[in-house]
Amino acid sequence: MTRQQFQALSLGLVAAVVLALPLFVRSATYLHILILLYLYAYLTTSWNLVGGFAGVLPLGHATFVGIGAYTSTILSLQYGVTPWIGMLAGGLLSVFVGVLIGLPTFKMRGAYFALATIAFAEGIRVMVENIDQLGPLKINGPRGLQIPPLNFGLANFMFPGKEPYYYIIVTMLAAVLAFTYFISRSKLGYYLSAGGEEPEAAMALGVNVARCKLIAMAMSSFLTALAGTFWAQFTLYIHPKSVISLDLSFEIAFIALIGGRGSIGGPILGAIVLRPVSDICRIYFGDKLPGLHLIIFGVVLILVMIFLPRGLQEPFSGLYNKVADRLTSTVPRQE
Amino acid sequence: MIYVLEDLINGILMGSIYGLTALGLTLIFGVLKVINFAHGSMLMVGMYAAYWAVALTGVHPYLALVLVIPVMYLFGHAMQDIIIKPIFKAEKQVREPITVIIVTTGVWYILDNLSLLVFGPQYRTLQDNPLRGKMLEFGDIMISVPKLWGFAAAVATALAVYLFLQKTRMGRAIRATSLDREAASLMGINQYRIYNVAFGIGTATAGIAGVALVPFYNVFPSVGVLFDIKGFIIVVLGGLGSIGGALLGGMIVGVIESVGPQVMTATWTEAIVYALFLLVLFVKPSGLFGVKYDW
Repeated sequence: MTRQQFQALSLGLVAAVVLALPLFVRSATYLHILILLYLYAYLTTSWNLVGGFAGVLPLGHATFVGIGAYTSTILSLQYGVTPWIGMLAGGLLSVFVGVLIGLPTFKMRGAYFALATIAFAEGIRVMVENIDQLGPLKINGPRGLQIPPLNFGLANFMFPGKEPYYYIIVTMLAAVLAFTYFISRSKLGYYLSAGGEEPEAAMALGVNVARCKLIAMAMSSFLTALAGTFWAQFTLYIHPKSVISLDLSFEIAFIALIGGRGSIGGPILGAIVLRPVSDICRIYFGDKLPGLHLIIFGVVLILVMIFLPRGLQEPFSGLYNKVADRLTSTVPRQE
Repeated sequence: MIYVLEDLINGILMGSIYGLTALGLTLIFGVLKVINFAHGSMLMVGMYAAYWAVALTGVHPYLALVLVIPVMYLFGHAMQDIIIKPIFKAEKQVREPITVIIVTTGVWYILDNLSLLVFGPQYRTLQDNPLRGKMLEFGDIMISVPKLWGFAAAVATALAVYLFLQKTRMGRAIRATSLDREAASLMGINQYRIYNVAFGIGTATAGIAGVALVPFYNVFPSVGVLFDIKGFIIVVLGGLGSIGGALLGGMIVGVIESVGPQVMTATWTEAIVYALFLLVLFVKPSGLFGVKYDW
């Protein structure tokens, strides 16, 4: 077996397991947990495009989730536009806002950039909370928007069961992973990691670092907004404290950082490890030990940053390589 | 008109307390070149320490300082020594390690949620303390007494920190490290010890702010987040690393929050503060009053 074959085999195995899971997991609760896991894996992978490859620390990605959720929901509630088109519209609006945020902020140094993204996100949340009616658009301030579950069907992005949502988010996750893989192998990907690690050296070699970061930001905000629409259609209720909250921004960044920023598998690994922790804590200890999952997050975050600065993916990919080497050829792999 | 004057005065008083909460943030940034995201949580710890010291013993609220200052100093000292130092050692060549931001965020989450676990989500107030609801009247103008004391504490603390940095040997060593950590090391200054001291002092000032707030403010687990975000805005407004700038930045935010509601819905003032923050960030990132090396 060659290495390519081994990779294809393991990828196919994972895909088969993921696709077949709903046949075995019949409990709505566990399916819900799985969907959230994929949703977070999707969000962190999108975040990783700018937070990982571009080497900056954006802490306001909930803004884009909110833009996606609000755009598609307002369009479908007030104008009867299908959420699928709303999804696209939200993505485009999100690109606009993302570039608007990126243009002035990418020139800043690490700490300033993180603070600026927080200020943007919080500013937008405060505005949404304070606006009931924006021209013809009903935003409903802090009360949020509810989507009445009336017209089920694929065209309306609304289903009575959880399985369709499962397959939609799996498709979205697979697409964003393929996209990230493609970017990481492209010229842009190399420019980004060069600019993220040694901006001066990259600029000296003629890389337009700021422009590359801006492109990454545009892609990341577009993809994040799509997840916002999914969130709205899945939970059927959005409000500023849920989709534009600082907590969501931080959680996205945390999961990606713990998993390993800048790698393709890292953010997913982070979601696989941390999402169940937070769900199980909330289900079983939510009333007795509130906030337990956030304490665990904090402890894991600190330990990972001190002992595994490249994230949890490092030992895992080392293990994978060992297994792959053992199973494939006897010739030692060339590094 | 008289209301505007009253709001202005109360805004300046409350703003100076905001400035006091941000003082440690700016000090720590000035020396370590990192933003301590856990600073609001430090303030929360200081508030709980002050609250329990007073609630259990029944002494005058400001007497809690005797306990809170040393406890908070040791707390900050230990946190830098145990959690942050390893990262500095690992990333020696980086001037502003982002990793430290992430780690302090982890500390924030742990502290806030630990206090939620231990103390519960309820809002606590010092019910029968002598300062509660006390007002001074000047003609038609009412001024809150605990806020006036908070103002005095803020100015005194800022002055004390300033004098400490200017006049003492340790202060000189701290300033040298903040200017150039390599050169300071070559002069025989142990930079990690300086970091410990700076972190300790910064945390102790958060404790003083906690004591100043407790007589009239609610104590609850996520109270730090409110001041955390405000603190970031204040220190950038005033200029990161500038002590006087932190006080002035705090007063600006305080005045916007207290005078703003005269002309608009109160919640909109928050959006104005964010807008001002972003404006300063884009136009003059060194802040309104910040010179690059102010102290």
